[in-house]
Amino acid sequence: MRSLKLIWILAEKDLRLEYRSRQAFLTTFFFALLILVVFQFAFDPGSTALREAAPGVLWTALLFPGVIQLNRSFQLEKEEGTLHGILLSPVERSLLFSGKFLANWVFLVAIDLLIVVAFVIFFNFSFEAKLAWILLLILLASAGFSAVGTLFAAMVSGIRTREVLLPILLFPIIVPTILAAVNGTQEVLLRHQPQFLVRWIQLLSAFDIIFLAVAFIVFDYVLDE
Amino acid sequence: MPPSTPILTLSHVSKNYGIVTALRDVNLEVYPGDFIALFGPNGAGKTTLLKIVASLVPPTRGELVFHVPQPGKVRQLIGYVSHQSLVYNEMTAVENLVFYGKLYGLTDLQHTVEGLLEKIGLWEARHQLVRGFSRGMKQRLTLARALLHRPEILLLDEPYTGLDQHASRLLTHMLRDLRDEHKTILLITHNLSEGLELSNRVIIQNRGEFVFEATRASLARENFENLYFEVIER
Repeated sequence: MRSLKLIWILAEKDLRLEYRSRQAFLTTFFFALLILVVFQFAFDPGSTALREAAPGVLWTALLFPGVIQLNRSFQLEKEEGTLHGILLSPVERSLLFSGKFLANWVFLVAIDLLIVVAFVIFFNFSFEAKLAWILLLILLASAGFSAVGTLFAAMVSGIRTREVLLPILLFPIIVPTILAAVNGTQEVLLRHQPQFLVRWIQLLSAFDIIFLAVAFIVFDYVLDE
Repeated sequence: MPPSTPILTLSHVSKNYGIVTALRDVNLEVYPGDFIALFGPNGAGKTTLLKIVASLVPPTRGELVFHVPQPGKVRQLIGYVSHQSLVYNEMTAVENLVFYGKLYGLTDLQHTVEGLLEKIGLWEARHQLVRGFSRGMKQRLTLARALLHRPEILLLDEPYTGLDQHASRLLTHMLRDLRDEHKTILLITHNLSEGLELSNRVIIQNRGEFVFEATRASLARENFENLYFEVIER
C-alpha cells in the first residue's frame, strides 16, 4: 500500500510540474498537429490512399512527439539535482520508475485524446462506435511506449546528446508496439475483422507486460553514475 | 576522547571515472557527534567522497560501512546538501518540503514543515514558487530539505557558496545548533575560518588523497592558512 502511495506521490509531482509549466504539453501537441497537417497536404482529400495511410499517420502523430515528454521527464530532475534528492530518500528505484512511467503514460494518453480529435477533424474520419477500440489501442500502445521510453530516458539523461539518442534507442525496440497499434487501427477503421483486432490487442498487451517487467527490473542499474 | 564505536568507516576507498582517479585509497572513521571540516582545492575529490558516503555513487574499490542498528535504513540517517539545490523551481517552498517529507514517510508532516520554515526564515515566502527565490533563500530551503527527516549524519558540500553575509551568518548559527545537538557533520568548504571555527576535526584533501588530518584542538587558528597552502603545494 505504501508503495502504491509513493508511486502516486512521484507521478502526481511530475504531472503538477507539467501542468504549471506546460512545456512538454505545448511542444508535443503542436509537433503532433504539424505531422497531421503535413500528411493532410500530402494526400488528396477523400482518396483511397489517404484512407489506407490514415492509421499509420495517426500513430506517427500519437507516438513520435511523445519523445519530447520522455526526454523532459528526466531533464527536469537534472536541472536542480532533484533526482539525487529522490535517490537519497528511502524510496526504491523501481518505485521511482513506476512513478515516472505512470506520469508519462497519463500525459501521453491525455495528449493522444486531443490528437485523435484533431485527426478526426483533419481526415474527416468518423469513429462512432469504434472509439472504444481506438481508446483501448491508445491505452495499450502508450503503456508500452512509456515503459521503454522511461527506461531509456533515464539511461540517456546524463548524456549531452540525449535528444538525438533517445529516439534512436527507443524506436527500434518498440517496433512491435507500433506494428500492433497500426494494424489494430487498420482493423478498426478499414477492415472490420474483429478476430484479427483481438490478436493485435493481445500482442500489444503481451509486449506491454514484457516491456514493463524488464524496465522495472533493469531500472535499478541505469541510474548509477 | 571520541566514542569508541564509529558511526561510519571508509576503508581503502577509491573511485575512478574512466581513467581519472577522483579518490585514492581513503581511510576514515567518523564518530557520532564529529564535526569534520574537509578542505581542499577544486578537483581534490571532496564531492566524490561525500557522494560515496551518501550512497549516490558506488566506490570503485574499498568499503563503506555504517555502524548503525538498522543498516537497511541508512538513507533515513543522512541529510545531504550539494552544489545543486535539490528542490523544484516550479513548486512552492511548502510543496517541496511536503513532497520530500512524504518520500521519507514522515508523520506530523504539516507541523514539521511549518516549524522548519519558521526556523530558516522562509515562513513569509512559504507559498511562493522557488523560481522567484534568491540564491540565499534557495540555499536555506535546501538546508531545510536536508534536515526535514532529522538525520543523524549531515553531509554539506560547500553550503556557503553564493550566500550573502546575512545568509552566511544564519547558516553558521544553524550549523552551531546542529553541532550542539551532537549531529555528525561532514562539511566541505573553502571558507577556512568558518570551517575551523565549527569543526572538531580537520582534514585536507588533495588529488584524491587525505594529505593532512588533525583535531581542531591541536591547530592554531592564526597559522592555519599558511599550513593549508603549505600542505596543498607540497
